[in-house]
Order: sequence, then C-alpha cells, then structure tokens
Amino acid sequence: MNSKPHAAIIGGGFTGCALALDLQMRGFQVKLFERGEICAGTSGRTHGLLHSGGRYCVDDVEAGRECIQENRILRKIARQCIEFNGGLFIALNDSDVSYGDRFTKGAEECGIETEELTAGQAITLEPNLNPALLKAYTVPDGSFDPLRLALSFAATARRYGAEFYSYCEVTHLSRTNSGRISGLEFLNRHENQLHEIRADVVINATGAWAGNIAAMVNVTVPVRPTPGVMVAYDQRLVQRVINRLCIPDDGDILVPQRRMVLIGTTSFDHDDVDYIPVYHEQIKLMHERAAELVPAVKNAHPRGAWMSARPLIASQGDTRSLTRTFRCFDHEEQGAPGLITITGGKATTCRLMAEKTADLVCQKLGVPANCQTHDLELDSYRQYYARAGN
Amino acid sequence: MKNESNSANLIRWFDPRHRQLGTWAFILNRITALGLTLYLILHLFALGNLARGPEAYDGFIKLAKTPVILIGELLVIAAGLIHGLNGIRIALNSFGIGTRYQKQIFIGLMIVVAACLIIFAKSMLFGH
Amino acid sequence: MNKENWHVTFDVFRQKTCQSVHFDAFPMDVDPDEYVLDVIERIWAFNDRSLTFRHACHHSTCGACGMRVNGVEKLTCITPINQVTHDGGKVRVEPLRNFPILSDLVVDMGEFYLRLDDAKFAQVVTLDAACLPFEKKQQVRENGDFERLVDCLECGMCISACPVALTTSEYLGPAILAAAHQTYQQTNDPEMISLADKQDGVWRCHSAYECTAVCPSNVDPGWRIMDLRKIVLRSQIHKFFSR
Repeated sequence: MNSKPHAAIIGGGFTGCALALDLQMRGFQVKLFERGEICAGTSGRTHGLLHSGGRYCVDDVEAGRECIQENRILRKIARQCIEFNGGLFIALNDSDVSYGDRFTKGAEECGIETEELTAGQAITLEPNLNPALLKAYTVPDGSFDPLRLALSFAATARRYGAEFYSYCEVTHLSRTNSGRISGLEFLNRHENQLHEIRADVVINATGAWAGNIAAMVNVTVPVRPTPGVMVAYDQRLVQRVINRLCIPDDGDILVPQRRMVLIGTTSFDHDDVDYIPVYHEQIKLMHERAAELVPAVKNAHPRGAWMSARPLIASQGDTRSLTRTFRCFDHEEQGAPGLITITGGKATTCRLMAEKTADLVCQKLGVPANCQTHDLELDSYRQYYARAGN
Repeated sequence: MKNESNSANLIRWFDPRHRQLGTWAFILNRITALGLTLYLILHLFALGNLARGPEAYDGFIKLAKTPVILIGELLVIAAGLIHGLNGIRIALNSFGIGTRYQKQIFIGLMIVVAACLIIFAKSMLFGH
Repeated sequence: MNKENWHVTFDVFRQKTCQSVHFDAFPMDVDPDEYVLDVIERIWAFNDRSLTFRHACHHSTCGACGMRVNGVEKLTCITPINQVTHDGGKVRVEPLRNFPILSDLVVDMGEFYLRLDDAKFAQVVTLDAACLPFEKKQQVRENGDFERLVDCLECGMCISACPVALTTSEYLGPAILAAAHQTYQQTNDPEMISLADKQDGVWRCHSAYECTAVCPSNVDPGWRIMDLRKIVLRSQIHKFFSR
C-alpha cells in the first residue's frame, strides 16, 4: 500500500491511459490528471486509422516496424473497438506505380504482409474506387474508435487500482529545495477547488501541449504542435482503408468508420494549440483529394470537419519530414529531476510508447518490473465508469 | 436537482416545445384520457338526475340541447375518437406493427378524426 | 481566413458543485457553416476557461458531445450553426436532461455506460448485424465478410429526450433497450429477454418516439423497443406452451 512508488501522469489521451495501465501493473500507484474528459485533446480527434505501417515503411523502417507490431497487438487486446477490414494502397499514375516497388521492399523489410492486386481485382473488392487506378496493394489496416480505445486502457488501469482525475487541470508542479519535482497542484474544474498531491515521478503525457507543461518548471521539449484538417462524409463508400501509393502527402488516407468515410489530412503551423480554426481552403482540398480516391464522395454529404494538432518532434525542416516516432525526455538533464516527458508518436503505437516510458521510469526509480501489457486483453471500456471499490 | 430524473417532472410531459409529432400523440392521449374520465364523472352525475324525477331530468335535457353543451359533446366525441384511434395505433405499435410509419399513421388517423368531427358537427349543430 | 459573418449570442448553462444554476451570455462572431461545438470550444479558449464540456472525436463517433441546443438534443460536433439559429439570433446550450450534472455542460454518464455492459452491447459487429433489418439491402455487400462499429454512439441523447426517463432513473431507457435488442438479434441470448421483460424494461415505454427523433445515428430505438416487445412475447408464449 504505502510502499508503492507514486506516479502522477499529466494527460488523459492514448499515451497517458496506456501508461497508467503499464505503471499500475508494474506496482506503482498511478494518479492521472486530465483537464477535460479522457481523450479531449489530440487523441480524441484522430480519424482512427490503425496503421499497418505501410505509410512509413519506405522512408522510416523503424516507424513501419513499430506500427505493424503494435497493429497486431492492438488487434488482439483491443478488439472491442477496432473495425479490422484491411486496407489498400492504390496507384493512380505512373509515379505511384514506380513508388510501388519501393513500397514492396519497405513492407518486406518491416514485416508488413501485402499482396499485389491488379486494377480489376481492386475494383472488385472496392467498387467505389477511382476507376482510373492502375494497381493496388493490400495491407492489414484497420479503423478504431478513439475515445473507446483510450477508455479501454483506462478501464483496465482502474481495475488494477489506478486513479483517474478528469476535469482536473494541473496548475503547478511542486519542487523540493533541491529542485526535484515532488508533486503537483491541480484545479478540480467541477468544484473550482485547488488540491495538491505528492508523487515520486511526474510524467508529462500531454502530447502537443508537452511544451506548456514543461514550461511550468522552465524546461523545454522540442515538440512542434502540427495541426491538420479532417472531413467526415455521411456514407460508408468503402469497407477498407484506402491509401494513396505515394510519398506521404495531404489528404491521402480515406478511413471508413461506422456509416462514414473520413479523409485526412493536412499539415501546417499554428501557434495556439488550444484552438485551431477549420480553414475552408483546407476543407476544399480534402474534398478534392477524397474524390481522387473515391469519386462517389462528391455525392456524399460532409457530416463534420475538424482539426487535430499532432505532436511532432522537431529538429528542423518542413513539418512532413518530422518524425512521427516518439521520444522520452528525462528532464533531470535540464535540471528538473523527477519529471519525464513522453511525446510524439501516433495512436497505433500508444502501448509501445507507454512501455518505453514505463521502462525509463522503472529504471530511474530502481523498480525491477517488466511490461506485461502486450498480451493482456483490455477490459470493456465501459468499466472505466465502474464505481470505486468494485 | 432540476436536471435529474424525478417524478415531479411529470408536469413537463405536457410541454410540447422543442418536441416532435410522437410527443403530440403522447400528450393528446393523456389529455383526452383525463378529459374522458372527467366526462364520465359528469355523465354519471347527470344520470343521477333520473332519480330525482321527471321535471329535474327534463330540465337537464333542455340544458343539454344548448350550443355550449353541444360543443362540449363534440369535444367529448373528439376526445373519444382521438384516444381510441391513437390507442389502436399504440397497441399495434406495441406488437411491432406499423412502428416505422408511426408518424404517417398518426397524421392519417387525425385526419379521420377531423373528418368525423365535421360530419358530427354538421348533424348536431345544423341538422335535426 | 474563414468568413465570420453572423453575430450570435450563446447562452450557456453554468453550474459548479454547490453553486446555483445560471446562464452566461457570450456574444460570438460565427461562421454559419461551422459547428456548435466549435463555438463552444472558442468560448472556452478565448472567453471563459472555466467552462467544462465533453468532447473527443469531433466527427460523430464517440458520442461525447451531446447537449441540448435551443431545447433540442443535438450532437454538437455535427450540428452547424445555421441549423439552429440565424444571424442575430440566440443559441441556448444546456446539458443533456435526465443525467446528474457534474458541472456546466458535463453530465455523469457512468450508470448509463454500465447498463450498456449489462446489455452485453458489442460495438463491433458484422455489417449484417450492424444495420436495421429493413436496411440490409442498401447497407450490406455480398462480396466479403466485413465488420464495423455499430450505429449507437452511446451519446445518451435518446435518454435525454425520453418522457419516461424524465420521471424515473429506474427506466432502462431507449439506448439500453435498443442495445439489448441488437445483442439478442446477434446472439439470441435469453438474458436479454429477462433484461427487457421487466416493469422498468420494455414495458415502461409509452411510444413518444422522441428517442428515434433525436438519435443522430440511425439506431431507431423506438422501433427496436417495440420489436423487442414482440421478441419477449414470442419467447413467453413459447415458454408457456413448452411446459
């Protein structure tokens, strides 16, 4: 009970919830703080593509390999909220076709199972595809519900004893005289009351907001919030995820979900992470790109349009070439021991991000425990709301 | 708390604002039920006049032929038709029949009610 | 930039724990095509950071952002401003009814979610089982065995609109009964019959059909409740005659 090390996690998105489960299973007492509802940040707004890794396998073998491994794990442990119907990478011009050679090589290197299809075969599988397509490759893509994925990690974490404090905004990180991070102060936004807790380690899992939390103790995190637009249409025109067979670009993924298809995304800079407006020109671009993949989109009605700020780890260069792999930052090096930031990454690799972060936390605190989340089937996401003590 | 489920909220059943056709049927069924019950009680009282002898009863029948009472009786007929026909719609729905077309069936039945009322009004107010 | 050419006043329900209810007025410049949730988010970001509300996906899959807008239940992420008001108009935003309020626009959906687990409601099913039986021809493909997330977003709007749920929290409510109906259609689980065949189960419904009217997602709970009654009766008759 009292001898358990205490971990405070800031941020209730995929990373935070998966980390809460991992650390709690490794013997920590976890308290997670999220200023909104679970998934109220970037995580909630993902279009829900369960990556096979095909998008990254040409230029980033590490990312591609991570993706396919985590793809298989999530399909096992989080079946309750994943539509797994596979995906296609389609070539619409000669440049795409020649990219296909690099694609097959990359997929093989990463261990992603793909099969080459003729245009005719692809259209038979998905009649609404652009009839001008030249060839296609199958991939094991899927589509998931963002809120439910996070809640399933959170529900399992709660069963192991983790405590979740939603609508609690962290206002202040406490430090001892030696500068060690020893806890935090938070505002309960339902009650408008401040509270304080102590922790042996504080993990900043706020993704695109990681810089804001780090700034509370004058340390920096090289994360660049990079927003992108997505549009949802009101007809499920395809059953499989449709990807453009080319170097990653704007609007080249079409994801089926419930009775919709979702097109995404763009990539641009914006200063304010808390509110990103939806730009009409970007919506128009998404309409065009979606129609290139599935022309019938022109007759579908847009149901929603929204923005999401991904946390890209910045060094330099244009936003598309920033890595989507994740990194842990141990702020002891910057003079704030006891604070760790995990950021970057994508939803598909959330469990792995949590595993690596938990490994670092355990190493720093001398806790000899290993990850056990890779084959633990997650509890029903609704049990997140089970009353305490059940 | 005002937002939670509470039996005291029952009065809000009769507030059709922001609601659709199904709620109108719901409200009408309840109002006509209350109306018909009230009518039944009044009817029994009126019949009680029978026990008080022929003059008392004849006096009441004279009153019953005045326009105010005739219109009242039309309201009773309306209530009876609405409640009865809508009741049949609800009963059929309860067995899974016609649920997909409940709105159209309701409108159709109310048109029947309106037509019947016009016919009855003609003969009650302007006939005989 | 976007065209922002309507001036609309948002009257937002406010209540923190142990405080009284009041409405705050926020005059906003809005794009008539943008969604109600976008404006609520702007109110939080630029006008009042103490405003609490639920949201996650912004594209009608998570079911978190259900609220009452001008008295009617709406999924605010897909409800454009021009659907609920006009230039110079007012938008009154309140939390869903028939749920306990945690603060402002946030209600406690805990009991609701747990009851859905009682109905063993699966979120991912085959295309066949996901749509309403009378829609199968348009919704199901012959060439393949596909699965998808079901229509019910678990948003709670049907419960908010139901006049019976208005008067008692014991009534399971449209979403739960619709979930039990779907579970039974897939699995023929007799536990669904016993869940439904109770005073506070299918028999409590009084055909107001507000649930079907406000559902943002094709669940048609009204139809499902009545079909579930048929199923329950059939099962009872079978049981009676097979004694």
